[in-house]
Amino acid sequence: MRQLKNDRVGLTWQPQLAAAILAAGDRIDLVEVIPEGTFLESPRAHRALRRLGREIPVAIHGVSLGLASTSAVDERRLGQFARLIDDVQPDCWSEHLAFVRAGGIELGHLAAPSRTPTTIDATALNIDRAARAIGGYPLVENVATIIEPPGSDLDEQTWLRRLLATSQADLLLDLHNLYANARNFGFSAADALRSLPPERIRVIHLAGGAPVRASTGDERWLDDHLHDVPDPVYALLEIVGESVPHAVDVVLERDGAFPPFGQLLDQLDRARAALARGRTRRMAA
Amino acid sequence: MSPAFESFLARLYVERPARERFLADPHGEAAAAGLTADEIAAAVGIDRVGLELAAASFAHKRRRQRRFAHPVVRLWRELAKRVG
Repeated sequence: MRQLKNDRVGLTWQPQLAAAILAAGDRIDLVEVIPEGTFLESPRAHRALRRLGREIPVAIHGVSLGLASTSAVDERRLGQFARLIDDVQPDCWSEHLAFVRAGGIELGHLAAPSRTPTTIDATALNIDRAARAIGGYPLVENVATIIEPPGSDLDEQTWLRRLLATSQADLLLDLHNLYANARNFGFSAADALRSLPPERIRVIHLAGGAPVRASTGDERWLDDHLHDVPDPVYALLEIVGESVPHAVDVVLERDGAFPPFGQLLDQLDRARAALARGRTRRMAA
Repeated sequence: MSPAFESFLARLYVERPARERFLADPHGEAAAAGLTADEIAAAVGIDRVGLELAAASFAHKRRRQRRFAHPVVRLWRELAKRVG
């Protein structure tokens, strides 16, 4: 990822929002595109993304490589991704610290790996494979999980810190994922954030979620990207502004239940303001 | 943890009958999957609330993906289902 001079704030590209995003002018600094299915394979889609990149900085965000797996990442998928990155030349590319398939079963979503030394080593190997195939290291994203990952003997922050110490990949820190996991499993998201190496945090994700209830009556918080960013996540963004020494990109993820576009822009403004408050504290310290 | 353990979890997350068999006999199902003693212990101690909610969430995501898939992809999937 190239070095940024200033913090930037943007959102996930959605076809339904395309016209509004392009009309929003200087209120959106970048867009993040999730290139799956035909979007990943089609030269026409690649050309469209390249054109989009001339209008506004583009980041590519993968969801299907399954880097955090004890099995080797699929070479065919890496090849597709490499062609896409080569064609589009995005500002950066990223992928999740999750497994998405195993034993021939496609989960259709992101599953948190068991947090063990074995999965750290296997994930670092997969990140290296991806970097070789694509020609640059991804940013790797912490995932939300609604189930305590079975077989774990490390907590999430220790697993992340050790992975970052083992790998050259920097961190895409999803603050809502951190918030959801903290809420579900009883730890402090702020303390967890402060325990991560700030010099390795490059991009921030913001999103919203909602409570879901099991048949037992137990409630957990689901990262669904269908709700507004909750207040505690902006508070975490202030900590980022205070602790991270370099400029970062902040991306609002919204996948559906879209409010009027002005409300999304308002959330970007709130993110800018939270980050600026943190930057001010950092300057004063 | 091994690829076998990941496959075991993937089956629990995605396949309702496998999940029901597991919840009825966690140790037996984990042992039958060829897991190590540590992995069997991890499976037996699984976060059951999380398993229920994760399975529901994964199912919802897969339904959503199918709904938004390209029409040609949907057609192929339908044909594949009919062929069996």
